Amino acid sequence: MKKRSNVLASFVTWPIVLLIAFPLLWMLITSVKPAAELFSTSPTLLPKAITFEHYARVLQDTPFLQYFANSMILATSTTVVVISISVLGAYSLVRFAYPGRETLASLVLFTYLLPSVVLISPLYLMLVSIGLANTLASLVIAYTTFALPYALWLLRSFMAGIPQDLESAAMVDGASRIGAFVDVVLPQALPGIISTALFTFILAWNEYLYALVLVNSDEARPLTTGVMTMLISAFNIEWSLLMAASVLMSVPLIIIFAFFQRHLTSGFGAGGVKG
Amino acid sequence: MPDIALQRPGLSRERRDALLGLLLIAPTVLVLGAVIVYPLLSAIALSFQSVYTPTLEGHWVGLANYRELLGSGGFWAALLTTAIWTAGTLTLQVLIGVAMALLLHQNIIFRSLARSLVLFPYFLSTVVAVLVWRWLFNDLYGIVNHALMTAGVIDAPVNWLGAMPNAMLSIMVVGAWKFFPFVVIAVLARLQTIPEALYEAARIDGAGPISRFFDVTLPQLRDVLTIVILLRTVWDFKEFDLIYLMTGGGPVNGTRTLPLIVYQQAFGLNQMGMAAAYAVSMMLVMLVFMLAYLQRARKAAA
Repeated sequence: MKKRSNVLASFVTWPIVLLIAFPLLWMLITSVKPAAELFSTSPTLLPKAITFEHYARVLQDTPFLQYFANSMILATSTTVVVISISVLGAYSLVRFAYPGRETLASLVLFTYLLPSVVLISPLYLMLVSIGLANTLASLVIAYTTFALPYALWLLRSFMAGIPQDLESAAMVDGASRIGAFVDVVLPQALPGIISTALFTFILAWNEYLYALVLVNSDEARPLTTGVMTMLISAFNIEWSLLMAASVLMSVPLIIIFAFFQRHLTSGFGAGGVKG
Repeated sequence: MPDIALQRPGLSRERRDALLGLLLIAPTVLVLGAVIVYPLLSAIALSFQSVYTPTLEGHWVGLANYRELLGSGGFWAALLTTAIWTAGTLTLQVLIGVAMALLLHQNIIFRSLARSLVLFPYFLSTVVAVLVWRWLFNDLYGIVNHALMTAGVIDAPVNWLGAMPNAMLSIMVVGAWKFFPFVVIAVLARLQTIPEALYEAARIDGAGPISRFFDVTLPQLRDVLTIVILLRTVWDFKEFDLIYLMTGGGPVNGTRTLPLIVYQQAFGLNQMGMAAAYAVSMMLVMLVFMLAYLQRARKAAA
């Protein structure tokens, strides 16, 4: 009885799953198709010949690697800055009592929902006036605006789930508050911290609007705006080239997704939905 | 009193704890103040000024920006466009998301692979999603037109992004594809916590699969769906990347939502004050949903 319904459900579900995954499959297929096959009036599902020439061209003839390095530095720096601040902040919000704590927690949640376009003009003015326009540092600062509230909220719900008894026990044994934090809370919170760090990295890796407004030179341009520049600057839109760039740009996400999917889905529930 | 003797001189334990708590939260407060609160207040101040972006010179104009904005048709048209986009793409996200969560909750073959494939679009960069879909929707060589023509649904290639209402429908579909996994993850997590006993009881009462869904599953999903819908309303309402990169707000202004106007005013027309007025007005509209979510989330956290 149970087995039969499984098979039936599979027959219904898998075609839909494949339909949803089709755009990504098509991206992969397009990226390895020879140019001649691409613009045929009767496109074939599977390429007749497989070529990696588009990948070679992306890497050799475009500033892709520069953009990639920029994105890597940018996403890593944002993650390090945001996680260092938010681990301390979230711990404070969860475990300490002081006036204004609840107001602050609400403010964090409010900023988590704030649209980027509201902050973009003042941030632009601010970063120009302190002379940081057109640098990766300006983007790290700008990315903090959405990544910090997000990380705080996520870590806060992770840390709230750690039983307080463990900490109290450590302190009864003579550990200081900071000692208990380092020896008991941090190891317990580690899965949550990893999850939050991965999310922060992905958010920073994928960000587009701030990069569009704050940076207009290839030296500091990340992949999102960089790859779009390739679309605009090409006389004939070379789709196979763009699909190859899209695949390469998604490689870090695929790696994170393949190895840490459990962390991603758990973080997701903690921060987004459970509140 | 005896406990005083046990205490160290100076600050009490509670006071020291509170001080340590404040010390730990200090970096957060400083950074949030500098990159969010200060810019937010500046945005409100900017909305009462006229600022020319290239020179950054400005002067106070009072309520003139707001008067112009509310008097022009542009704001109201964009508000309507934003509402249509949000309602359309959100409806698709919720319907596909709930359906997909129910299917993925079953014990299907290669379930974890199916889940990964379904969830991945959510983690993908919007830039990549847009490039792929613009290629799929390409009028000459796109696979969508080709497939539909082969199947005999259409006779001639359809202009998916350059005509209305096609462009609006197309971005709604791309938005649904990109963001429905959010609904799937949330609903799937909730489905796993519904007690099997509820279904057993319904079965004994003679309820079929459809009435089991409406009488047992849906009421159990109500809370999570409310929060998901509130969150996604806020996020879809402020979506910039996807629409800007798919259509640029076109054709004409057919898909120009409020976030696109803000960008256009600030960096296209160089009217930073006007842009801020648009942004603040947009935020006021969103505030209803933001406060509703805030209230629910705080209640759930408490």
